[in-house]
Amino acid sequence: MIVLDNITKDYVLTKESIVKAVKGVSLEIQRGEFVVVTGRSGSGKTTILNLMAGLTRPTSGRVLLDGVDLWSLSDKKQSWLRSQKFSFVFQFPSLIPTLTVMENIVLPVIFNKDHWNSDAASQRAGELLKMVGLEEKRTVYPRQLSAGQQQRIVIARALMNHPEVILADEPTSDLDEQTEGEIVDLFTQIHREEHVTIVMVTHTSQLAAYGTRSITMAMGEIVN
Amino acid sequence: MNFTRLALRSITGNSFRSWVVVLCAMLVAGLALATSLILRGAENSLRLTIDRLGADIIVVPQGAETKVESALLMSTPASIWMPDNVVGEIASVPGVAVVSPQLYLSSLENASCCSVSSMFLVAYDPATDFTIEPWLEKKIGSRLSLGEAVGGMHVFVPLGEENIKIYGYLISLKANLEPTGTGLDQTMFFTFETARDIARLSPTLAVKPLEIPLNSISAALVRVTPGVDPHEVALEIFRKVSGVTPLESPNLFLSYRKQMTGLLHSNLIVLGITWGLSLVLIGLVFSMAANERRRELGVLRALGATRDFVLRSLLMEAGILALIGGGVGVVLTTFVVILFRTRIIQSLSLPFIFPSILSLLVQVVAGLALALLSVALAALVPAYRISYQDPANAMRE
Repeated sequence: MIVLDNITKDYVLTKESIVKAVKGVSLEIQRGEFVVVTGRSGSGKTTILNLMAGLTRPTSGRVLLDGVDLWSLSDKKQSWLRSQKFSFVFQFPSLIPTLTVMENIVLPVIFNKDHWNSDAASQRAGELLKMVGLEEKRTVYPRQLSAGQQQRIVIARALMNHPEVILADEPTSDLDEQTEGEIVDLFTQIHREEHVTIVMVTHTSQLAAYGTRSITMAMGEIVN
Repeated sequence: MNFTRLALRSITGNSFRSWVVVLCAMLVAGLALATSLILRGAENSLRLTIDRLGADIIVVPQGAETKVESALLMSTPASIWMPDNVVGEIASVPGVAVVSPQLYLSSLENASCCSVSSMFLVAYDPATDFTIEPWLEKKIGSRLSLGEAVGGMHVFVPLGEENIKIYGYLISLKANLEPTGTGLDQTMFFTFETARDIARLSPTLAVKPLEIPLNSISAALVRVTPGVDPHEVALEIFRKVSGVTPLESPNLFLSYRKQMTGLLHSNLIVLGITWGLSLVLIGLVFSMAANERRRELGVLRALGATRDFVLRSLLMEAGILALIGGGVGVVLTTFVVILFRTRIIQSLSLPFIFPSILSLLVQVVAGLALALLSVALAALVPAYRISYQDPANAMRE
């Protein structure tokens, strides 16, 4: 279970200019939920997502993961938690350009070596490639893929370590309508078949219907 | 997929950064090795020459110090003379154990009667000699007879002939001395008797006679009694014997040592400037590359990479590039020094002997270590900064 307890996050741009991205947000996300967070640009959606995974430190408040305060842990433990429990699908192209598709998918294994041998990792990556329908692309580089195909590979990478939670930040924002539908269907399928908790941030309010719960943010606060 | 592979892929994927770092490391390691090789080569050469001379003091005519040094080190023919009665005067100085006179001669330049042109020739007195004779006894078990000689490493009998011709006189080469990297390698040694025989026959055999002034010598090698301070003996010779300069072994080749110091200073300045510029350039290039890869590194952090992993990964990339550049630099430098050794010696007017394999290896490793240290140092700040950045901030535009 992820708990945000009265979280605020300020970005200090200059001495005089401070952006209050998140203002006293409290939120609980239960295991197995598919939460869609909607809101306009600058409403604090992405910051909430980053706070949940410890990718940025809150200015005040606590982030609890299964009752443990994330910011009471060392960097090493936080990183270990990220590799074990979380996976990310970002808005921007987040595949490593110097690695092939297959290498990108198995990349999370580097940080979770205790649980994998190379054969098992290759087999799992192969299954995930099949699941996202890009089996024939295993040896190509990200630049040789379309934006939609890249995002499918990112989703496959996100599933590599059998995460408990997938945090998706505007995963369809750069995609055409048809591909957007395919990606959201993929998330729905993953949620249904892999029983993974999903928190998806989007500015498209129509996508809220795909989740089991919908949250709307505005001006750094949860408004609905 | 593993840590090393990730670093190697990043190296091949960032070709501009990789080339700049490799070139800088190559320059730093190459320059450091070149400086070390040339200066240590010259120093070894001087030390070997002093050992070869085997004398504690060399007494030369006053004002002829530089000529003698040039003759011994660079094989520059020298015609210097002093009366042979100085030998007795030197021998009477307390603390002097042995005095052995030598004649410095040279073969004619491009003359049909000489098969070697402008070669430095040293005639020694077998009765008192303590440098060539012991070596001969050890190496060939006999002394030199009339018409026989030993040569430096690079003295050889011309192809198709059996003897070396000097002033039309045929000399049999009995053996070659070990290399010193100095003029001694191109010098021929024979006895006073042979020198006088050449001089006697040269008016009829040579295009120009060999002239040895009567009752004259060129230098006197002195060995002091064990336990006596050579410096005190040299001072005493200077006081008691007029018209001569005693050169103590440790002070020999002072002008060359000064030249080496000058060369060392200029090389260190060039090396220092290159090092400083390389450090700045590598630092800038790494900053640029790290900045370009902010998102990528942020993604790695999101996937579970620790700060240390990112830092080590960046430093490993730097280390691999430093070793590649440094490796190319030291190999190229070694080849250049081997191939252009003669030109380097000529242009620097310094003696040179190539170091032993072990010494070369030590210097190569030192060059590589300098390259590695420099690149790691330059990459450390940008790598540290990017690895300790908030992952969310790193991934923002």
